[in-house]
Amino acid sequence: MNGCIVAFCCEHSAYPAADLAGRLRLHYPESLRVIRVPCAGRVDVIHILKAFENGASAVLVLGCEDGACHHITGNTRAKERVKYCNMLLKEVEVDGRPVAMFNLSPNTPHKFVRAVNEITKIIKESGR
Amino acid sequence: METRIGIFLCNCGGGMKNIDFDAVAEKVARMPGVTCVNLVSHLCLDEGREKMIASIREENLDRVIVAACSPEFKEHIFRQALEDAGLNGHLLAMANIREQCSWAHEGDVTEKAVELIKMATNRARLLQPLERKELPVNREVLVIGGGFSAIDTALHLSRLGLRTTLLEKEAVLGTGTGEWQSLHGFDNSSMTAAVEGDRNIDVLASARMTAAEGTIGDFTVTITREGEEISRKYGAIVLATGFRTELAPTSTLKLRTQAEPISGISIVSQEQLFHMLHNSIVEAKPRTIGFMFDFSDENSRFPTLTTLNNALAAKNKWGSEIYIFCKNVKVDSEGAEKLYREARECGVVFLKCETTPRMSMDNGRVAVEARDVFLGEDTVIACDLLVAEELLLPIAGTETLSSLLNIRLDSRGFYQDENVHLYPVASEKKGVFVIGWCRGNLDMGRVLTDISSVVMSVHGLLSSGKILVEVERVKVDPQKCVACLTCIRVCPHGAIQLVRVDGDKEVAGISDLACDACGICSAICPAKAIKFQGYRDEEILAQIEAIGES
Repeated sequence: MNGCIVAFCCEHSAYPAADLAGRLRLHYPESLRVIRVPCAGRVDVIHILKAFENGASAVLVLGCEDGACHHITGNTRAKERVKYCNMLLKEVEVDGRPVAMFNLSPNTPHKFVRAVNEITKIIKESGR
Repeated sequence: METRIGIFLCNCGGGMKNIDFDAVAEKVARMPGVTCVNLVSHLCLDEGREKMIASIREENLDRVIVAACSPEFKEHIFRQALEDAGLNGHLLAMANIREQCSWAHEGDVTEKAVELIKMATNRARLLQPLERKELPVNREVLVIGGGFSAIDTALHLSRLGLRTTLLEKEAVLGTGTGEWQSLHGFDNSSMTAAVEGDRNIDVLASARMTAAEGTIGDFTVTITREGEEISRKYGAIVLATGFRTELAPTSTLKLRTQAEPISGISIVSQEQLFHMLHNSIVEAKPRTIGFMFDFSDENSRFPTLTTLNNALAAKNKWGSEIYIFCKNVKVDSEGAEKLYREARECGVVFLKCETTPRMSMDNGRVAVEARDVFLGEDTVIACDLLVAEELLLPIAGTETLSSLLNIRLDSRGFYQDENVHLYPVASEKKGVFVIGWCRGNLDMGRVLTDISSVVMSVHGLLSSGKILVEVERVKVDPQKCVACLTCIRVCPHGAIQLVRVDGDKEVAGISDLACDACGICSAICPAKAIKFQGYRDEEILAQIEAIGES
């Protein structure tokens, strides 16, 4: 899956936001693959690393807005895990493979598209 | 036995023109385990569903992939179709080829659609059926509080046939409702009389909750009354503890010590003014009255109402000159706009200030110095009576209750009001509800709405005496669990407790009733002992493996 972006989307916020983006015909790169999770807090380090092992060029973890997580602490835990992942990747010297966490709410499709575009830009700049 | 996978492609009546469905069908049919591929034009309509059910039965399918619109929408319909065909509803996986594929991109996206279906198929292979079971629940309800919302909730619940206990820390019901009675025209005594005459309502006065455990449908609560401990069981708990007011600390308090309340000149609270207006005889009518609100706390829906009501009453009774100092007048509550207009029409002056006015004692009067943003000038008004700004605060004991019940407080110390994802009266713990003023700054209309919604929710949950739940959706493997307590600490819904298995080994056990299926525990478990059916590590990893396979 060379060049794919894997996005873990929380079913309470990012997943409906992605749906809404589609319904509004807001276009984003085709390389995005969405994996639906019940909460951003479900995303584990192994899931993110597996995506890279399979050749993904970036991983997005998308959860609810700060202080508005359906499961109260899921988004903050996801953020910590993303941070930890970045640290791990740095340690094993596979820099330049971005893992990023974004917070959005179900009615913000533009924010979803912006997150995807932002990460695409980062990938392009790093020449992958 | 080999899995028999059936794939149902829905083209949404031609709504996805940039996908070549014949090519998709041809490609996905070649995947291992795929028994049949059906192309339907409207899978969610009756004829589509019937076709789906027939096909599941004919081909003896044990996994179903639906490649259509978003699962957010129609997943429940397809799950039901599976159930109707005699298959467990959890053996369905959906590929979102409409919103997140066809509609999100321009140009031909057949390849992506195939890949999304492959991802779903990989996940489907690992899916396991989930059993559903009816679990018994206790039909009694505990309502904590003795104010308007608590009493009204208890009366409603009792009328619906649910036994209710009212737990009040004061000796009698309705002590904290003084200010409201006349303000909103409800009669305290008739309500308390109704409670007394109701055999379905049990009143525990001068009592406090000192311990609580258990989950929805089965809470065990310890209540301490006059030194003795009572243990009771409830199916749901409703918190209706109300709020308290306190004068804002902005220089008012310093002045207040110099001023004598009621006799002559003073700085008073809204409640004191209310009593002056309605209950006591005032020797000298105050000629000028100043009101202040919305400076320290911008959640001023309720202060706006009391200020407008009291200002109008003072104007009518005493004919005083009235100045209202505030940042903003918030008139979003019912009837507030009308009150505001009335106040303007009868000559009440509103001064909009950006900063808290300075106050000083001047010859027995309170001089208020404020900068009006419209005039752009400093104005000094000497008031005979100043009604100080009040802060709405959670009542004492809110923290204790929240820690006993394991529910969080917002930044102002009220019960969860900031989380937009929770329904207004629900807390993060299933079976614990929060209503009325203890969850934030409401007006009467909103409180009434709260009461109705909590009554509906509690009745819906408990009336039949049992709840249908999915059994072991999130499950702990007792062989792997080392009882490190990590999951118990992180569970946002308080659904995990230590349970005893095989004699004396203690492991984490998840309550099917209380679990809200977030999967935080299964991600954090260091021993990987917690499996979340449908979102197990295997299922998520299998989806990732399918990406870019072709």
